[in-house]
Amino acid sequence: MKIEESVKKRIIRNIFLSLFIYALPILLMFFTFYFTGQRPWLKKTTKVGQVIKP
Amino acid sequence: MIKIIQQVIDNLNGYGLSVLVLILGVLEFSFGLYKKRWNKNEKFVDIACFVLPKLVIRPAIAFFGLKFLPAVIPALRNEFDWVSFGWGLLIIAIADDLTQYWYHRLHHEIPWLWRFHRTHHSASYMGMAMASRQNALYTLFFSQTYVTTILVYLGLGAPRIIVGAIKSTITTLAHSSIPWDKPFYKYKVLHPVAWVLERLISTPATHHAHHAATTDDGVGYYKGNFGNMFFLWDVIFGTAHISRQYPAAYGISHYEGDPWYAQLLWPIFKSNVAGSELAADGPIVRQDIPIEERELLTIRAVHQNNGEQELVLKEVPAATG
Repeated sequence: MKIEESVKKRIIRNIFLSLFIYALPILLMFFTFYFTGQRPWLKKTTKVGQVIKP
Repeated sequence: MIKIIQQVIDNLNGYGLSVLVLILGVLEFSFGLYKKRWNKNEKFVDIACFVLPKLVIRPAIAFFGLKFLPAVIPALRNEFDWVSFGWGLLIIAIADDLTQYWYHRLHHEIPWLWRFHRTHHSASYMGMAMASRQNALYTLFFSQTYVTTILVYLGLGAPRIIVGAIKSTITTLAHSSIPWDKPFYKYKVLHPVAWVLERLISTPATHHAHHAATTDDGVGYYKGNFGNMFFLWDVIFGTAHISRQYPAAYGISHYEGDPWYAQLLWPIFKSNVAGSELAADGPIVRQDIPIEERELLTIRAVHQNNGEQELVLKEVPAATG
Protein backbone atom coordinates (compact mmCIF):
# COMPACT_ATOMS: atom_id res chain seq x y z
CA MET A 1 0.00 0.00 0.00
CA LYS A 2 1.45 3.32 -1.13
CA ILE A 3 1.14 6.73 0.44
CA GLU A 4 -1.37 9.01 -1.32
CA GLU A 5 0.26 11.66 -3.51
CA SER A 6 -1.69 14.53 -1.91
CA VAL A 7 -0.68 13.38 1.58
CA LYS A 8 2.95 13.10 0.47
CA LYS A 9 2.92 16.65 -0.92
CA ARG A 10 1.34 18.01 2.25
CA ILE A 11 3.95 16.28 4.43
CA ILE A 12 6.83 17.77 2.41
CA ARG A 13 5.27 21.24 2.49
CA ASN A 14 4.64 21.02 6.23
CA ILE A 15 8.17 19.78 6.97
CA PHE A 16 9.63 23.01 5.54
CA LEU A 17 7.27 25.05 7.69
CA SER A 18 8.26 22.94 10.71
CA LEU A 19 11.95 23.64 10.19
CA PHE A 20 11.14 27.34 10.42
CA ILE A 21 9.07 26.77 13.60
CA TYR A 22 11.93 24.77 15.19
CA ALA A 23 14.33 27.64 14.46
CA LEU A 24 11.91 30.39 15.51
CA PRO A 25 12.64 30.50 19.29
CA ILE A 26 16.39 30.44 18.64
CA LEU A 27 16.12 33.20 16.04
CA LEU A 28 13.95 35.26 18.39
CA MET A 29 16.44 34.76 21.21
CA PHE A 30 19.38 36.04 19.15
CA PHE A 31 17.20 38.83 17.75
CA THR A 32 16.60 39.95 21.36
CA PHE A 33 20.33 39.70 22.17
CA TYR A 34 21.11 41.81 19.11
CA PHE A 35 18.87 44.65 20.28
CA THR A 36 19.58 44.46 24.01
CA GLY A 37 23.31 43.90 23.64
CA GLN A 38 23.19 40.87 25.94
CA ARG A 39 25.98 38.31 25.50
CA PRO A 40 25.18 35.57 28.06
CA TRP A 41 27.63 33.08 26.52
CA LEU A 42 30.53 35.42 27.36
CA LYS A 43 29.67 35.25 31.08
CA LYS A 44 29.98 31.50 30.85
CA THR A 45 33.51 31.77 29.36
CA THR A 46 34.59 34.11 32.19
CA LYS A 47 33.28 31.69 34.80
CA VAL A 48 35.24 28.82 33.28
CA GLY A 49 38.39 30.99 33.19
CA GLN A 50 38.04 31.85 36.87
CA VAL A 51 37.80 28.21 37.84
CA ILE A 52 40.93 27.30 35.92
CA LYS A 53 43.07 30.00 37.62
CA PRO A 54 45.11 28.66 40.54
CA MET B 1 10.83 28.52 49.74
CA ILE B 2 12.73 28.27 46.45
CA LYS B 3 14.03 24.89 47.59
CA ILE B 4 10.46 23.67 48.23
CA ILE B 5 9.31 24.88 44.78
CA GLN B 6 12.33 23.18 43.22
CA GLN B 7 11.44 19.91 45.01
CA VAL B 8 7.80 20.14 43.82
CA ILE B 9 8.96 20.69 40.24
CA ASP B 10 11.47 17.83 40.46
CA ASN B 11 8.77 15.47 41.70
CA LEU B 12 6.21 16.43 39.06
CA ASN B 13 7.97 14.20 36.56
CA GLY B 14 8.54 11.45 39.11
CA TYR B 15 5.75 10.36 41.41
CA GLY B 16 3.64 13.46 40.62
CA LEU B 17 2.49 12.09 37.30
CA SER B 18 2.00 8.60 38.70
CA VAL B 19 -0.25 10.06 41.41
CA LEU B 20 -2.27 11.96 38.79
CA VAL B 21 -2.66 8.81 36.67
CA LEU B 22 -3.68 6.80 39.74
CA ILE B 23 -6.28 9.35 40.87
CA LEU B 24 -7.75 9.66 37.37
CA GLY B 25 -7.74 5.87 36.95
CA VAL B 26 -9.60 5.36 40.24
CA LEU B 27 -12.15 8.04 39.30
CA GLU B 28 -12.68 6.53 35.84
CA PHE B 29 -13.33 3.10 37.30
CA SER B 30 -15.57 4.54 40.03
CA PHE B 31 -17.71 6.28 37.41
CA GLY B 32 -17.83 3.09 35.31
CA LEU B 33 -16.32 4.88 32.33
CA TYR B 34 -14.80 1.70 30.86
CA LYS B 35 -18.26 0.23 30.40
CA LYS B 36 -17.11 -3.36 30.87
CA ARG B 37 -14.94 -3.15 27.75
CA TRP B 38 -11.73 -3.71 29.68
CA ASN B 39 -11.74 -7.47 29.18
CA LYS B 40 -8.96 -9.94 29.96
CA ASN B 41 -7.09 -9.47 26.68
CA GLU B 42 -7.23 -5.68 26.85
CA LYS B 43 -6.03 -5.76 30.47
CA PHE B 44 -2.99 -7.78 29.41
CA VAL B 45 -2.22 -5.33 26.57
CA ASP B 46 -2.55 -2.25 28.78
CA ILE B 47 -0.57 -3.64 31.71
CA ALA B 48 2.22 -5.05 29.51
CA CYS B 49 2.49 -1.74 27.66
CA PHE B 50 2.63 0.14 30.96
CA VAL B 51 5.28 -2.06 32.58
CA LEU B 52 7.69 -2.92 29.76
CA PRO B 53 8.82 0.63 28.95
CA LYS B 54 9.72 1.16 32.59
CA LEU B 55 11.88 -1.98 32.62
CA VAL B 56 13.52 -1.74 29.20
CA ILE B 57 13.04 1.61 27.53
CA ARG B 58 13.91 3.92 30.42
CA PRO B 59 17.31 2.24 30.89
CA ALA B 60 17.87 2.55 27.11
CA ILE B 61 17.23 6.30 27.25
CA ALA B 62 19.40 6.63 30.35
CA PHE B 63 22.19 4.88 28.44
CA PHE B 64 21.70 7.32 25.54
CA GLY B 65 21.98 10.34 27.84
CA LEU B 66 24.62 9.15 30.26
CA LYS B 67 26.92 7.05 28.04
CA PHE B 68 26.25 7.55 24.34
CA LEU B 69 26.14 11.36 24.20
CA PRO B 70 29.21 11.89 26.45
CA ALA B 71 31.13 9.51 24.18
CA VAL B 72 30.00 11.10 20.90
CA ILE B 73 29.86 14.82 21.76
CA PRO B 74 31.83 15.22 25.02
CA ALA B 75 32.67 18.88 24.38
CA LEU B 76 29.03 19.92 24.15
CA ARG B 77 28.04 18.91 27.67
CA ASN B 78 26.24 21.91 29.23
CA GLU B 79 27.65 24.06 26.44
CA PHE B 80 24.39 25.99 26.18
CA ASP B 81 23.59 26.35 29.88
CA TRP B 82 23.79 30.12 29.40
CA VAL B 83 20.38 30.00 27.68
CA SER B 84 17.95 31.59 30.11
CA PHE B 85 15.13 29.56 31.68
CA GLY B 86 12.46 31.36 29.65
CA TRP B 87 14.11 30.84 26.26
CA GLY B 88 14.95 27.27 27.25
CA LEU B 89 11.29 26.66 28.04
CA LEU B 90 10.22 27.88 24.60
CA ILE B 91 12.97 25.96 22.76
CA ILE B 92 12.25 22.68 24.58
CA ALA B 93 8.45 23.00 24.35
CA ILE B 94 8.61 23.46 20.57
CA ALA B 95 11.37 20.91 19.94
CA ASP B 96 9.74 18.24 22.12
CA ASP B 97 6.12 18.59 21.09
CA LEU B 98 6.61 19.37 17.39
CA THR B 99 8.86 16.30 17.07
CA GLN B 100 6.21 14.16 18.74
CA TYR B 101 3.56 15.64 16.45
CA TRP B 102 5.59 14.52 13.43
CA TYR B 103 6.38 11.10 14.88
CA HIS B 104 2.69 10.56 15.55
CA ARG B 105 1.46 12.00 12.23
CA LEU B 106 3.88 9.96 10.13
CA HIS B 107 2.71 6.75 11.84
CA HIS B 108 -0.80 7.60 10.64
CA GLU B 109 -0.01 8.94 7.19
CA ILE B 110 2.70 6.53 6.04
CA PRO B 111 0.98 3.15 5.64
CA TRP B 112 4.15 1.16 6.42
CA LEU B 113 4.42 2.80 9.87
CA TRP B 114 0.77 2.41 10.90
CA ARG B 115 1.11 -1.04 12.49
CA PHE B 116 3.69 0.25 15.00
CA HIS B 117 1.10 2.71 16.31
CA ARG B 118 -2.01 0.56 15.88
CA THR B 119 -1.89 -0.78 19.46
CA HIS B 120 -2.60 2.69 20.84
CA HIS B 121 -5.77 2.87 18.72
CA SER B 122 -7.11 -0.64 19.18
CA ALA B 123 -8.60 0.14 22.61
CA SER B 124 -12.36 0.60 22.41
CA TYR B 125 -12.27 2.88 25.46
CA MET B 126 -10.45 6.01 26.56
CA GLY B 127 -8.77 6.47 29.92
CA MET B 128 -5.69 5.92 32.04
CA ALA B 129 -5.68 2.21 31.23
CA MET B 130 -4.89 2.88 27.56
CA ALA B 131 -2.87 6.10 27.83
CA SER B 132 0.48 4.21 27.79
CA ARG B 133 -0.75 1.50 25.43
CA GLN B 134 1.85 1.42 22.65
CA ASN B 135 3.85 -1.11 20.69
CA ALA B 136 7.25 -1.44 22.41
CA LEU B 137 9.17 -0.45 19.26
CA TYR B 138 7.01 2.66 18.87
CA THR B 139 7.91 3.61 22.44
CA LEU B 140 11.59 2.74 22.02
CA PHE B 141 11.93 5.04 19.01
CA PHE B 142 9.92 7.92 20.49
CA SER B 143 11.98 10.55 18.68
CA GLN B 144 11.05 13.43 20.98
CA THR B 145 12.55 11.58 23.96
CA TYR B 146 15.95 11.57 22.28
CA VAL B 147 15.61 15.18 21.11
CA THR B 148 14.90 16.35 24.67
CA THR B 149 17.66 14.14 26.10
CA ILE B 150 20.10 15.86 23.72
CA LEU B 151 18.82 19.30 24.78
CA VAL B 152 19.20 18.37 28.45
CA TYR B 153 22.76 17.22 27.73
CA LEU B 154 23.44 20.58 26.07
CA GLY B 155 22.38 22.35 29.26
CA LEU B 156 18.59 22.83 29.16
CA GLY B 157 17.80 20.51 32.06
CA ALA B 158 15.70 22.85 34.23
CA PRO B 159 13.21 23.95 31.54
CA ARG B 160 12.88 20.31 30.45
CA ILE B 161 11.45 19.38 33.85
CA ILE B 162 8.74 22.05 33.61
CA VAL B 163 7.85 21.25 29.99
CA GLY B 164 7.76 17.53 30.82
CA ALA B 165 5.39 18.10 33.74
CA ILE B 166 3.02 20.36 31.77
CA LYS B 167 3.07 18.09 28.72
CA SER B 168 2.43 14.92 30.73
CA THR B 169 -0.49 16.57 32.51
CA ILE B 170 -2.10 17.82 29.29
CA THR B 171 -1.69 14.51 27.40
CA THR B 172 -2.85 12.46 30.39
CA LEU B 173 -5.97 14.60 30.79
CA ALA B 174 -6.62 14.49 27.02
CA HIS B 175 -6.68 10.67 27.14
CA SER B 176 -8.83 10.53 30.26
CA SER B 177 -12.44 9.50 29.97
CA ILE B 178 -13.26 12.36 32.35
CA PRO B 179 -14.36 15.21 30.05
CA TRP B 180 -12.85 18.11 31.99
CA ASP B 181 -13.42 20.42 29.01
CA LYS B 182 -17.21 19.99 28.95
CA PRO B 183 -18.01 23.02 31.19
CA PHE B 184 -16.09 25.26 28.79
CA TYR B 185 -18.51 24.32 25.99
CA LYS B 186 -21.61 24.32 28.19
CA TYR B 187 -21.43 27.80 29.74
CA LYS B 188 -21.52 30.69 27.33
CA VAL B 189 -19.33 32.85 29.52
CA LEU B 190 -16.53 30.30 29.12
CA HIS B 191 -16.80 30.04 25.32
CA PRO B 192 -13.94 32.47 24.63
CA VAL B 193 -11.69 30.39 26.91
CA ALA B 194 -12.86 27.22 25.14
CA TRP B 195 -12.05 28.77 21.75
CA VAL B 196 -8.47 29.43 22.84
CA LEU B 197 -8.03 26.13 24.73
CA GLU B 198 -9.22 23.86 21.93
CA ARG B 199 -6.85 25.50 19.48
CA LEU B 200 -3.86 25.69 21.79
CA ILE B 201 -3.77 22.35 23.63
CA SER B 202 -5.15 18.84 23.26
CA THR B 203 -8.50 18.53 24.99
CA PRO B 204 -10.52 15.36 25.63
CA ALA B 205 -12.94 16.41 22.82
CA THR B 206 -10.27 16.85 20.14
CA HIS B 207 -8.10 13.95 21.25
CA HIS B 208 -11.03 11.59 21.73
CA ALA B 209 -12.04 12.47 18.16
CA HIS B 210 -8.61 11.20 17.10
CA HIS B 211 -9.36 7.86 18.82
CA ALA B 212 -12.84 7.50 17.29
CA ALA B 213 -13.78 4.27 15.54
CA THR B 214 -15.22 6.21 12.62
CA THR B 215 -14.06 9.35 10.87
CA ASP B 216 -15.77 12.09 8.86
CA ASP B 217 -19.01 11.78 10.85
CA GLY B 218 -18.64 15.30 12.21
CA VAL B 219 -17.27 14.08 15.55
CA GLY B 220 -14.59 11.44 15.02
CA TYR B 221 -11.46 12.26 13.03
CA TYR B 222 -8.60 9.79 13.22
CA LYS B 223 -7.09 11.28 10.06
CA GLY B 224 -5.91 14.28 12.08
CA ASN B 225 -5.69 15.80 15.57
CA PHE B 226 -2.16 14.45 15.99
CA GLY B 227 -1.02 17.05 18.54
CA ASN B 228 0.00 15.88 22.00
CA MET B 229 0.61 18.90 24.24
CA PHE B 230 -0.10 21.58 21.64
CA PHE B 231 -3.07 21.24 19.32
CA LEU B 232 -1.72 24.34 17.60
CA TRP B 233 0.37 22.16 15.26
CA ASP B 234 -2.80 20.63 13.83
CA VAL B 235 -4.24 24.11 13.31
CA ILE B 236 -1.05 25.33 11.59
CA PHE B 237 -0.61 22.26 9.36
CA GLY B 238 -4.28 21.80 8.46
CA THR B 239 -4.75 18.46 10.24
CA ALA B 240 -7.17 19.80 12.86
CA HIS B 241 -10.77 18.85 13.40
CA ILE B 242 -12.20 20.83 16.29
CA SER B 243 -15.12 19.06 17.91
CA ARG B 244 -17.07 19.82 21.07
CA GLN B 245 -18.73 16.42 21.12
CA TYR B 246 -17.34 13.04 22.11
CA PRO B 247 -17.35 10.05 19.76
CA ALA B 248 -19.94 7.33 20.33
CA ALA B 249 -17.39 4.57 19.70
CA TYR B 250 -13.62 4.34 20.06
CA GLY B 251 -10.97 2.05 18.62
CA ILE B 252 -10.52 0.41 15.23
CA SER B 253 -13.62 -0.65 13.33
CA HIS B 254 -12.19 -4.06 12.33
CA TYR B 255 -10.43 -4.88 15.62
CA GLU B 256 -11.01 -8.42 16.86
CA GLY B 257 -8.87 -8.57 19.99
CA ASP B 258 -5.34 -9.33 18.77
CA PRO B 259 -3.36 -11.09 21.52
CA TRP B 260 -1.36 -8.89 23.88
CA TYR B 261 2.05 -10.20 22.81
CA ALA B 262 1.40 -9.28 19.15
CA GLN B 263 0.15 -5.81 20.10
CA LEU B 264 3.15 -5.24 22.35
CA LEU B 265 5.89 -6.69 20.14
CA TRP B 266 4.75 -6.73 16.53
CA PRO B 267 6.57 -7.49 14.16
CA ILE B 268 8.52 -9.86 16.43
CA PHE B 269 5.29 -11.63 17.40
CA LYS B 270 2.37 -11.84 14.99
CA SER B 271 -1.35 -11.99 15.69
CA ASN B 272 -3.31 -15.22 15.29
CA VAL B 273 -6.42 -13.28 14.25
CA ALA B 274 -7.03 -13.99 10.56
CA GLY B 275 -7.11 -10.85 8.42
CA SER B 276 -5.69 -8.65 11.19
CA GLU B 277 -3.13 -5.99 10.27
CA LEU B 278 -0.85 -7.66 12.81
CA ALA B 279 -1.26 -11.18 11.36
CA ALA B 280 1.61 -12.72 9.38
CA ASP B 281 -0.30 -12.46 6.12
CA GLY B 282 -2.46 -9.50 7.12
CA PRO B 283 -2.86 -6.27 5.15
CA ILE B 284 -0.62 -3.27 5.91
CA VAL B 285 -3.70 -1.11 6.38
CA ARG B 286 -7.12 -2.67 6.47
CA GLN B 287 -10.07 -0.68 5.19
CA ASP B 288 -12.67 0.50 7.68
CA ILE B 289 -15.80 -1.55 7.86
CA PRO B 290 -19.37 -0.29 8.24
CA ILE B 291 -20.53 0.14 11.80
CA GLU B 292 -23.14 -2.65 11.65
CA GLU B 293 -20.47 -5.21 10.76
CA ARG B 294 -18.26 -3.78 13.49
CA GLU B 295 -20.93 -4.61 16.03
CA LEU B 296 -20.76 -8.25 15.02
CA LEU B 297 -16.97 -8.27 15.32
CA THR B 298 -17.12 -6.70 18.77
CA ILE B 299 -19.62 -9.27 19.93
CA ARG B 300 -17.50 -12.11 18.54
CA ALA B 301 -14.29 -10.76 20.13
CA VAL B 302 -15.92 -10.30 23.51
CA HIS B 303 -17.54 -13.69 23.29
CA GLN B 304 -14.13 -15.25 22.65
CA ASN B 305 -12.58 -13.43 25.58
CA ASN B 306 -14.93 -13.71 28.49
CA GLY B 307 -18.52 -14.05 27.42
CA GLU B 308 -19.63 -10.54 28.29
CA GLN B 309 -21.64 -10.58 25.09
CA GLU B 310 -24.84 -9.30 26.57
CA LEU B 311 -23.28 -6.29 28.25
CA VAL B 312 -21.48 -5.11 25.12
CA LEU B 313 -24.53 -5.64 22.96
CA LYS B 314 -26.25 -2.95 24.94
CA GLU B 315 -23.36 -0.50 24.79
CA VAL B 316 -22.16 -0.60 21.20
CA PRO B 317 -24.12 2.10 19.39
CA ALA B 318 -26.17 1.14 16.34
CA ALA B 319 -24.70 3.98 14.30
CA THR B 320 -22.42 6.92 14.88
CA GLY B 321 -23.31 9.13 11.94
